[in-house]
Amino acid sequence: MPMNQEQLRELEALCVQEEAPFCVAACPLHLDVRGFMKCCAAGKWHEARKILDRGLPFPEIISRFCDAPCRPACKRGGPLGGALNIGLLERFCLSQTKSAWKAPKLPARKGKIAILGGGLSAMVAAVELSRKGFSTCLFTARPSLGGRLLDAEPPPLAALEQAAATLVGYGLEIVAGQPLELAVFTEESPAFDAFYLDLEEFAEAAPTCGFGEPVALTLALSRPGWFAGGQAKDRRFPVIQQAEDGRRAAVSIERVLQNASLTAERAKEGGYRSRLYTDISHIQPSGPIIPANPDRYTAEEAQAEAQRCLQCQCLECVKECVFLRQFKEYPKTMARKIFNTETIVQGTRSANKMINSCSLCGQCATICPNRFPLAETCLAMRQEMVRNGHMPPSAHEFALDDMAFSHSDACRLARHQPGKTTSRFLFYPGCQLAGSSPWQTQAVYQFLGEKLTGGVGLMLDCCGAPARWAGQAELFQQSLKRLAAEIRALGAPELICACATCGKLFREFLPETKVTSLWQTLDELPETPLPPLQSSGLSRTFALHDPCAARHQPEMRGAVRSLCAKLGLTLEEHDCSGERADCCGYGGLMSCANPPLAEQAAAVKRRRQGDKSTHIVYCAMCRDSLAAHGPTGHLLEYLFPQNTDDPAARPNPGYSARHENRARLKTRLLRELWREDRPEETTMVLFVSEEIRAQLEARHILEEDVRRVLADAEGKNRYLKNEAGHRLAGLRLRRVTYWVEYQPEGQGFRIHNAYSHRMILPEEQQ
Amino acid sequence: MSGFSFIAEKGWRCAACDLALEPRPVQINYLHSVFTVELLTCPGCGFALVPEELATGKMLEVEQLLEDK
Ligand code: SF4
Ligand code: SF4
Ligand code: SF4
Ligand SMILES: [Zn+2]
Repeated sequence: MPMNQEQLRELEALCVQEEAPFCVAACPLHLDVRGFMKCCAAGKWHEARKILDRGLPFPEIISRFCDAPCRPACKRGGPLGGALNIGLLERFCLSQTKSAWKAPKLPARKGKIAILGGGLSAMVAAVELSRKGFSTCLFTARPSLGGRLLDAEPPPLAALEQAAATLVGYGLEIVAGQPLELAVFTEESPAFDAFYLDLEEFAEAAPTCGFGEPVALTLALSRPGWFAGGQAKDRRFPVIQQAEDGRRAAVSIERVLQNASLTAERAKEGGYRSRLYTDISHIQPSGPIIPANPDRYTAEEAQAEAQRCLQCQCLECVKECVFLRQFKEYPKTMARKIFNTETIVQGTRSANKMINSCSLCGQCATICPNRFPLAETCLAMRQEMVRNGHMPPSAHEFALDDMAFSHSDACRLARHQPGKTTSRFLFYPGCQLAGSSPWQTQAVYQFLGEKLTGGVGLMLDCCGAPARWAGQAELFQQSLKRLAAEIRALGAPELICACATCGKLFREFLPETKVTSLWQTLDELPETPLPPLQSSGLSRTFALHDPCAARHQPEMRGAVRSLCAKLGLTLEEHDCSGERADCCGYGGLMSCANPPLAEQAAAVKRRRQGDKSTHIVYCAMCRDSLAAHGPTGHLLEYLFPQNTDDPAARPNPGYSARHENRARLKTRLLRELWREDRPEETTMVLFVSEEIRAQLEARHILEEDVRRVLADAEGKNRYLKNEAGHRLAGLRLRRVTYWVEYQPEGQGFRIHNAYSHRMILPEEQQ
Repeated sequence: MSGFSFIAEKGWRCAACDLALEPRPVQINYLHSVFTVELLTCPGCGFALVPEELATGKMLEVEQLLEDK
């Protein structure tokens, strides 16, 4: 179901990255303190000044008198050393700079406003309204602006004079020094459309006018068009609150004049508590910079103080996820882009690649304070794209073809244990283990058969994860249905899954099936299986990586550790393990849709453990992905060593070998365990250099497909030839045309090159 | 991609017809879009050669563009 605007907003609200920093939210005027600190920290005083000029109506006045309600909110406070001295930094910046920015005056608008009083709240209301083009007139009985600020020692005369000049520059009319009778303004059919009453000047007069008390949210009085603020009945306001009132009243008056709602969406006016999340667990404490002269920083002191700012933001998920970093997004912005893609009717769907690059691993949601469900969002979008025909065919086809092969008779097997007619257990190695470590798959199966009673059946198959990840909901359901039927046909035994992904999917989608992990089964055996590492030269200390699919399978993770402990292996753990585990780049078919990113993901995952010599994993895909970046072994390879070589030294076998291993495993098991006659297969011999092999892998061309091209070309004598004796043939298989440049050599063929395309030539039509 | 010519590839002959290839306009298509490119083609049987640089370059680019439409 496509997302609607409201669902999008709900989703977006989960991500707090765009929430104001704590200081900014607490500042009644929402000065961009974080940005200001960044400039100060870099010694960019002019830039810092611009931020003050934008954020504060009269910076010299407000910075001097503000009692900094932002400070108690500062994240740097308390155990981290003490809140930033925001006020002192503002004053330092002002002392170093001249005014650097002035709000432009907007074109004249309809509406006449009377500001009654000359205190700071009146001045702020006046500057906001006159700047916006309203015809505004300020009346004060006092000889000049400033109200009680003039009582300060020394009075800020220069700043007030400058403020008056600014106001006049915006077109404000000031009528000062004449006795004010409120009655003149309250009579019927007045000369003004809206009024602001500065309660500092009218502390006594106002209650007598009979308009009641101002409403906190809007400062509205009971008479329409009238607003008041700047002081409460029983107490004087801090200066910064006077400024806030002035701004609040200006917003109200503007809304009244435009017939807009007075109350809608005003929760974030004035100081509030930010919802932002900033992780401070890794921050070192750092105490405040105490200026030598208590009233004033030197430039160095100011800079050093500003450098203590944490530049508060969240981005917790982005810090860990390569995918989010590569696309330079955080979940909130990404959700918006995904949503926008959904609404594209014509034109380029530029977010497709992004949507297909997420590994759907769920690490972000585990880290996020609000569990932002980005994986679910990407998956739902993929399903939508498949439904409406917008899924790029090339995104997942290679993996889906591989799955189809695993699902074919060539690889699939579902049997009771040889000699048994019932199964209490069913070993389910998963297509990736069967492809990567066929030898261990057989060894562990035989081992389970010996150790467990009640019959251990075997099922070679694919759980359908590629279809699920590709958004092929229907295909996934079909695959589940077939699997469920085959499990039932074997008497519904308990599944022993070697792969965390298979286990996770079966638990979620085949709830009637009992599922356990191979690791728990092995750990619960009364005796330890085989002593690992017979050969003395190998290390017994390993850097362990959990697969992302084990994120919510703590029993499995625990069993692996317990098993390793029994085997006398020392494991080194790192921060991004367990619930926070990274994906190796295979999950969500990232490696299919975005191979370079998957490479990066594997490198990042492996690097979590630094450059320790041996890395150990218990997921076949993790093993092969990480092995491309350095020695990485699979726990099963240590439990069931095939020979005395260090298993971690075995390279990533690659797509072609995994593919063929699966088919060979089935044949070998049928022959060796079930004693069936299997015809010897004669496969065409290919000579492929390492370099060409790597190219085939990178281009997602299987050796099996190369063989089919050659068989076709040689059978039909349909190829090109050149003087070097090379042959070049092309053949369309499924939805891709493969070209192979080759040459007969001995009993087989030497492969020189291979490439593919999806475009269709006339002869391939139909 | 129309108007592109990929006849630079030299030296290939059709094995079946034993003829040298000649440039010919060929209509190729993908996802409901049709393009005409000049490809080296066997004058006898019509075998058209898609060279590597075309397949992994311009053609791939256009394929991906069309897939995102
Ligand atoms: S550390 Fe910096 S950004 Fe964070 S609350 Fe304090 S001043 Fe604001
Ligand atoms: S790759 Fe994993 S951590 Fe990154 S966005 Fe996708 S689900 Fe979240
Ligand atoms: S963890 Fe990520 S998704 Fe969650 S609030 Fe922070 S930036 Fe947003
Ligand atoms: Zn020919």
